[in-house]
Amino acid sequence: MTTGFFTDSTLCIGCKACEVACKEWNDIPADPFVFSGLSYDNTLGLGHSTWRHVKFIEQEATIGAGGNAAGRITWQFSSDVCKHCENAGCLEACPTGSIVRTEFGGVYVQPDICNGCGYCVVTCPFGVVDRRPDDGRAFKCTFCYDRQIAGEQPACAKACPTGSILFGDLDELEKIADRRIATLHGAGMTDATIYNPKETSVGGTHAFFLVRGDPWAYNLPPKPEVPTTLLRPAWTAAALAAGAMAVVSLLAFAGGGRR
Amino acid sequence: MRPRRPDAASERRLEELRREAESRGEVGAPGVRPSGSPLPEASAGSGYYGLPLLKPPVWTWEVPLYFFTGGAAGGAACIAFAARVTGAPERLVRDAQWVAAIGGAVSGPLLIADLGRPERFLNMLRVFKWQSPMSVGAWLLLSFGVAASAAVATRGAPRDLASGVAALAGLGMATYSGVLLGATALPVWSKHASILPPHFAASALGSAASILELLGHRGRALHKLALVAAASETVLHSLLQVSATTRLAGAFSGPIPLLLRALYGRSRRARTAAAASALLGSLLTRFAWVEAGRGSVASPPRPLRGDAARSGDAVR
Amino acid sequence: MPGLGTSFGRGGATTAQQDLANADAILIMGSSMAENHPVGFQWVLEAREKNGAKIIHVDPRFTRTSAMADFWLPLRAGSDIIFLGALIRYVIETGRWFRDYVVHYTNAPVIVRDDFQDTEDLGGVFSGAETWTYDGAARDPSLQHPRCVFQVLKRHFARYTPELVEQACGIPRERFLEVADVFTAASGREKTAAVCYAVGWTQHSTGVQVIRAAAILQLLLGNVGRPGGGILALRGHASIQGSTDIPTLYDILPGYLPMPSSSEESLAAYIARYRAEKGWWSNLDKYIVSLLKAYYGETAQATNDFGFSWLPRLTGDHSYFGYWLDMADGKLEGLLVMGQNPAVGSPNGKLERRALANLKWLVVRDMVEVETATFWLDSPEVKSGELTPEEIATEVFFFPAASYVEKEGAFTNTQRLLQWRERAVDPPGEARSELHFLVQLGRKLKAMATGRPRDAGLRALTWQYADEDAEEILREIHGRDIAGGIPVRHFGDLRADGTTSCGCWIYSGVFDGRNKANGRDPEGRYDHGWGYAWPLDRRILYNRASADPAGNPWSERKALIWWDESKGEWVGHDVPDFARGKRPDDRGDPARGGDAALPGDAPFIMHPDGLGWLFVPSGLKDGPLPAHYEPLESVMRNPVHPERQTNPAALKMERADNAYAASPDERFPHVLTTYRLTEHHTAGGMSRTLSHLAELQPELFAEISPELAAEIEVVNGGRVEISTARGSIEARALVTTRMPSLDIDGRRIHQVGLPYHWGYRGLVTGDVVNDLLAISEEPNVKIFESKGLTCAVKPVIPSATRPGS
Ligand SMILES: Nc1nc2c(c(=O)[nH]1)N[C@H]1C(S)=C(S)[C@@H](COP(=O)(O)OP(=O)(O)OC[C@H]3O[C@@H](n4cnc5c(=O)[nH]c(N)nc54)[C@H](O)[C@@H]3O)O[C@H]1N2
Ligand SMILES: Nc1nc2c(c(=O)[nH]1)N[C@H]1C(S)=C(S)[C@@H](COP(=O)(O)OP(=O)(O)OC[C@H]3O[C@@H](n4cnc5c(=O)[nH]c(N)nc54)[C@H](O)[C@@H]3O)O[C@H]1N2
Ligand code: SF4
Ligand code: SF4
Ligand code: SF4
Ligand code: SF4
Ligand code: SF4
Ligand SMILES: [Mo]
Repeated sequence: MTTGFFTDSTLCIGCKACEVACKEWNDIPADPFVFSGLSYDNTLGLGHSTWRHVKFIEQEATIGAGGNAAGRITWQFSSDVCKHCENAGCLEACPTGSIVRTEFGGVYVQPDICNGCGYCVVTCPFGVVDRRPDDGRAFKCTFCYDRQIAGEQPACAKACPTGSILFGDLDELEKIADRRIATLHGAGMTDATIYNPKETSVGGTHAFFLVRGDPWAYNLPPKPEVPTTLLRPAWTAAALAAGAMAVVSLLAFAGGGRR
Repeated sequence: MRPRRPDAASERRLEELRREAESRGEVGAPGVRPSGSPLPEASAGSGYYGLPLLKPPVWTWEVPLYFFTGGAAGGAACIAFAARVTGAPERLVRDAQWVAAIGGAVSGPLLIADLGRPERFLNMLRVFKWQSPMSVGAWLLLSFGVAASAAVATRGAPRDLASGVAALAGLGMATYSGVLLGATALPVWSKHASILPPHFAASALGSAASILELLGHRGRALHKLALVAAASETVLHSLLQVSATTRLAGAFSGPIPLLLRALYGRSRRARTAAAASALLGSLLTRFAWVEAGRGSVASPPRPLRGDAARSGDAVR
Repeated sequence: MPGLGTSFGRGGATTAQQDLANADAILIMGSSMAENHPVGFQWVLEAREKNGAKIIHVDPRFTRTSAMADFWLPLRAGSDIIFLGALIRYVIETGRWFRDYVVHYTNAPVIVRDDFQDTEDLGGVFSGAETWTYDGAARDPSLQHPRCVFQVLKRHFARYTPELVEQACGIPRERFLEVADVFTAASGREKTAAVCYAVGWTQHSTGVQVIRAAAILQLLLGNVGRPGGGILALRGHASIQGSTDIPTLYDILPGYLPMPSSSEESLAAYIARYRAEKGWWSNLDKYIVSLLKAYYGETAQATNDFGFSWLPRLTGDHSYFGYWLDMADGKLEGLLVMGQNPAVGSPNGKLERRALANLKWLVVRDMVEVETATFWLDSPEVKSGELTPEEIATEVFFFPAASYVEKEGAFTNTQRLLQWRERAVDPPGEARSELHFLVQLGRKLKAMATGRPRDAGLRALTWQYADEDAEEILREIHGRDIAGGIPVRHFGDLRADGTTSCGCWIYSGVFDGRNKANGRDPEGRYDHGWGYAWPLDRRILYNRASADPAGNPWSERKALIWWDESKGEWVGHDVPDFARGKRPDDRGDPARGGDAALPGDAPFIMHPDGLGWLFVPSGLKDGPLPAHYEPLESVMRNPVHPERQTNPAALKMERADNAYAASPDERFPHVLTTYRLTEHHTAGGMSRTLSHLAELQPELFAEISPELAAEIEVVNGGRVEISTARGSIEARALVTTRMPSLDIDGRRIHQVGLPYHWGYRGLVTGDVVNDLLAISEEPNVKIFESKGLTCAVKPVIPSATRPGS
C-alpha cells in the first residue's frame, strides 16, 4: 500500500507535539538553543536534526477576528515534513543507492549505506535532507519506516492531538483532502488550497498539505522541479563539449603541432 | 520614565517610521511594525520570513579542488591521446600522461576526504546509476584513474589502449562535474545546466594545456589549445548570470589569458603569465561556483533587506 | 473552586472535555486552551468542524487558541468581570435568557432579605454578609418582585454596558456586541454553549467572582447540565483536581468536608454547624464519621467522638502564602517540598528564596534538582551577594522522586475522571514514589509517638500499609463495611454509626470490588467504562437540568437524560445526577429531610434548595454577586465603582519586601500579565531540562506591541528590562501585533506579556518572572494575582548604540 501524509494547517494548533514526537522516537539530537524572534519558531526549518517542523506564519492581527475568520490570515501553523516525492530528487541523485523507495512508497535513507557524499542535499527541491556535521551522514524523515513495518502509524501523526496530520492510504487521503477543500470553500474560506505539485516534474508528493493563502508564505515553492529533468540538456551539452574538446585537441596537434 | 500616553512626540515618531516604510520599503530604525509597513513577515512576498528554502551544499574545499584536478587531469589525458595519435613529441605525451595520472591519483583522495563517512567510499561502487551524475562521476573517476595510471605504467599497445581509455574517461571527467552541479535544485547551478559542462570542459582543457606549458612545453599546439579554451571561456562567461565574484574568477580563465595570448602570443613571458592566469582562473571558478551555490539558497523572491537584517540580528 | 461550588453545588467542572464537541458555541476566556490543554482542544475543533460552532477567545493576546477561534477579542488584563457583566446585562436586556430554565432551576424567583444592599447602593461594597440571604421561603415566579434575585441581578448589572466594555476593557463596542450576539444566539432549547476557563480567570484578586459571573451567565442561558453546555474548569497539573478532592489544602478535608476550627469542640457541634437539613449535604455526618473511621480505625468509637478531637484545627491563615510570610519572618523551622518549585513558580520569588534561607531544614523531593533545592548555591540572591552559601544555615535534603511513568496510581483529571496508570518502568537509582516515601515517613513518625495526649491521633492512625500498593490506598478511599470487611457499593451505603469507613466519600464507588479507574472499555456517548468520574461515574453534572420540569428533554437535539415513565426512572446517555427513581412531579417532603426533601425538578442536588444560585446566599467572602474591582495594581481607577478601587476582602499582604505600586503609578505605566507556553511546563523543571523542549523556546521573552517597541525604541529580538515594584528582570523583546495596545478610557494602554517558565538551572536558563509578582490573597481561595499588575519596560541597550540597526 502507498501511504501518505495529509497535513491540514487549518486544524493545526502549533503545539509542536509532532516535532517533539519525531525527535523522541528517532532519538535525534537537539538543535542549537537560539531565540529567533520569528514568531514562535525557534527551530526554523527542516534539517538533519529536525524532520518535522512546525511553521508559524504570522501576519497582522485584527481585533475581533480569530484565526479561523475567513479572508484573514493572522497566525497559521503548518507542520512541514519531507514530501516523499513521487519523483524524488534525492533518491535519483544518491550515488550509493542509500536512498530507496520503500514498499509504502516513502523515500528512505538507509543509514548503513549512506557515505555522506552530500549530493542529495543539493538535489532536493524542497531543502529537506541535510548532512549532519558530527555524524557525516545525511538524514531526513524516514516516514517512520520502522513503525510502518510494525503496523504502527508514524510517531508524528500519532502524537498530533487535532488530526492536523492524517496518515493513511494515499488515494484515500487525497479524497479526504478534496472533500475538506470543498467544505472550507463552502464555508467561505476560499483562500484554502492544497499544495501537492502534481503538475510539475515532481509528479506529486506523498506528504501533501492544505494551507491558507499563498503556499510560498510557508516556503512551499510555487514550481518545484526534480533536478533529473536537467540531465538531458546537461548531458547533451557535456557530450557536445567533450566532442568539441576531442576535435579541438586533435586539430591543434594535427595542424602542424610539430613545431 | 515617561508615562506611556501617545503624545505629539510619539505620534510624530510613528508617522516618520510609516513614511520611511512607505518610501524605502523598509524601516532601518529599531523597533516597530507601524501598521502598513513591511515587517518580518511570512508572506507571499518574502516566503517564510525570508528564510532560505533550500539547503546549501555541504561540500568543503576538497570538492572544488577536486573539480579542478579532475578536470585538468581529464584535459591532460585528452591532450596526451591527441598528441600521441598525431605523433607529437614523446616527451609531451609522457608528461601529459603523467599529469593525467597524478591528477587522477589526487582526485580520488580529495573526493573521499569530503565524504561524511570516507570509509564508506566504496559504497559509491555498489550501484551504477546513469541518472545520478555523482554515480556516473564515481565510475568515471575509477576508470580514469585505472586507465591513466596504466598509461604511465605500461608500454606499447597496452599503453596506447590505456591512454585511449583514459582520454575517453578524461573527456567525461572534464565535463561531468558541470552536469553534477547543473542537475541540482540550486537555482544558480540549475539555471546554467547546459552551460556548465562546456564551461568546465573549456577550463579543464585550458588548465591542462597551461600545466604542460608551465612544464616547459612550448609547442604551438598547446598555445592554440589554450587560446581556444580561453576564447570559449570568454564567450561562455558572457552567457552566465552570476555574481561579481564568479565573474572575476572567470576573468582569469577567459579574457586575461585570451588577451595575453592573442596580443603577445609570441612572448614567452606572456604565455607563462597566460598559463598561470588560466590555471588560477580554473581553480577559482570551481571555488566560486560552489560558493555561488551556497549563496543561492536564499531563493527568490529575496526577502526585504530590512527584514533580513532584522532577523539576522535576532538570530545572531 | 468555590466559584463553581457556590453556584452549582460542587467545585468541579460541570462537564467533560469530550462534551465540548456537542456545543454550538464555545467561549474560551482566561485560558489558552489550545496551548495548555492541547489534547482536550480536539473537541473544541470537533465542535467547530462538525456543528459549525463559533469559537470565541477573549484574551489580552492573540494566542494559539485565538488562531483557532472565529472571534478574538483582546481585553485589558483584569477587566473580565466587566466583560462578563456586560454579557449578563446583554442577555437580560435582549430577553435571550431561557425563561423556563431560569424560573424552575435557579434561584431567580427567590426574594432576598430587605436589608440587603447592593454595591449600587453602598458605593462599591455590599451590606454585611448576614444580609446576603433569602427572605424566608418567599418566591415570585413572575420575576417581577423588586427584591427577587432576578431583579436584584438586573439592577446590579445595569452599569455593565457595552460602552463600559469599550472604555474599560478596550474592546470596541461593535465587536463586543457581535460576539455577544453570536454566543447568546447559540443557547436555548435547541442549542447550547459552553464556557472554558483556567487560571487566566482564577489568578486575580477577584478570581472567584469572575467564575461566578460565568456561572450566572450560563444559568441565565440555561446552559448548565446540558450536552454541549456547562463550564469547563481547565485544571493544571495532571492530578490537580485530585489534590483538591483529596486536598493538599489547609482548610478542607477529603470530599470537601470543612476543616474544623477551634470553635467546634465536638463532633456534634461540627455536624450541627455544617450538616444541611435539605439536599445532599444532609449526609455530612455519614461522611465525616466514615472518614474518621478510615483515619483512626478501631480506636475511633462513638465514645471518643470517633477521634474527632485529634483532627487538626484551623487557628488562622495557614494558607500557602501565610506560611511563606511566616517563613520570611523566621517563624517556620522546616519545609517539605514535594513536586513543587516555589523558587521559580511562586510569586515574589526573591522573598521566597530569602525565606528558604531562614529555615532550619528543607526537604525537596523532585525528579530533577530544581531551583528550590539549590537556592543556597546559585540563586540570584547568591549571585548578587545578598545571600552567601556559607552563612545560610538551612540544611537541605534532596530526595530523587519517581516520575509518573515509574509508579502506579490514579490521576483525577480536569473533568473529575479518575484514570489509573500503571508503572511502565522502574524508577532509576534511589528514586522512589511519594507513596513509598510517605508510608516510610508515617511508620517512622508513628514509632516516635509518645504516650502524651497530643500524640493520641498519631498513635491511633491506621498505618498498616504495604510498602507500595496504590490499589490498597484506592480501596481505603472507596470505603468498606467494617464488620464484613467488604467494600461498600458507593457512598450511598455509608453510615454515621461507625460501621463504615471511607477515605473520600465523593470517590466512593470507584472500587466496588473492581478498580473502575482502570476501566478501559468505553461505551456510549460519554465513554462510560473508561476510567471513573466522581460522583458515581456521572460525566455531566446536574444533568437533570437537561430535561424540562416534566422530565422531557428540552429538545431532541439536546437530549441527555429524561424520565422514562414505563421504567419509573431517569434514563439516557449519562448516569443521572439525581435520585434515579425520583419522579419529576415529586413535590419533595421536607419532613423526610435530605435529598428526599427536594422536589423532582430541582437539579442542583447539593444545594439545600436544589437550585442553581444566581445569587449566592452563603459560602463566599466577597459578595453574593460579582462586582468589578481593579487588580491590586492597576493602570487606572475603578471605572465601575470609583469609590472602591480593589476587592475589599482581598489581602495585599503589603510590606517592605512585598511592595505595591500605586494605581495608577507614573513609574509603572503598562499592564503586565504572565502565562504559559505549550513548549514548557510551569516552573520549567520538567521542560527546561529536556533538550527537545528547551530548543523550542530557548529564551525568556516579553511580548510587546509594535507601538510600545517604537516608543521605547527596541527592536524585535532586542533585550528589555521589565520592572515592577518588587524587582526587575531581563528578557528578549518579541514585538508582535498579537499583543495589541488598547484604547482605554481615552488613553493608549500597552500590555506586556511574559511566559514564566525560566529559572537559573537547566539546559536553558533565564530570569525568574515571578520576581516581579507580589504575594497577595484572593479572599476565597487565597490565590495570588499573576494576571494583571503594572510594570515598566525599557531597552537594555540604548538603541543608538545597537549594532546592526
Ligand atoms: N504546555 C503546558 N500546559 C499546561 C501548563 C504548562 O505549563 N504548559 N500548565 C498547566 C497548569 S499548572 C495550569 S494551571 C493550566 C493553566 O492554563 P491556562 O489558564 O490556559 O494558562 P495561562 O497561559 O497561564 O493563561 C491563559 C491565558 O490567560 C490570558 N490572560 C492573562 N491575563 C488575563 C486576564 O486578565 N483575563 C483573561 N481573560 N485572560 C488573561 C493569557 O494571555 C493566557 O493566554 O495549564 C496547564 N497546562
Ligand atoms: N507568574 C505566574 N506564576 C505562576 C502561574 C502563572 O500563571 N503566572 N501559575 C501558577 C500555577 S497555576 C501553578 S500550578 C504553579 C506551578 O508551580 P510549581 O508547582 O512550583 O512548578 P512545577 O514546575 O510544576 O513544579 C512541579 C515539580 O514537580 C516535579 N515532579 C513531577 N512529577 C513528580 C512526582 O511524581 N513526584 C515528585 N516528588 N515531583 C514531581 C517536577 O519535576 C517539578 O519540578 O505556578 C504558579 N505560578
Ligand atoms: S522532499 Fe526532498 S528529501 Fe524528501 S523525498 Fe523529495 S527530494 Fe527527497
Ligand atoms: S549523502 Fe548519503 S543519502 Fe545523500 S546522496 Fe550521498 S550517499 Fe546518498
Ligand atoms: S514520519 Fe516519523 S520520521 Fe517522519 S516526521 Fe513523522 S515521526 Fe518523524
Ligand atoms: S502535532 Fe498536530 S496540531 Fe500539533 S503542531 Fe503538529 S500538526 Fe500541528
Ligand atoms: S501533557 Fe498530558 S495532560 Fe497535558 S495536554 Fe498533554 S496529554 Fe493532556
Ligand atoms: Mo496550575
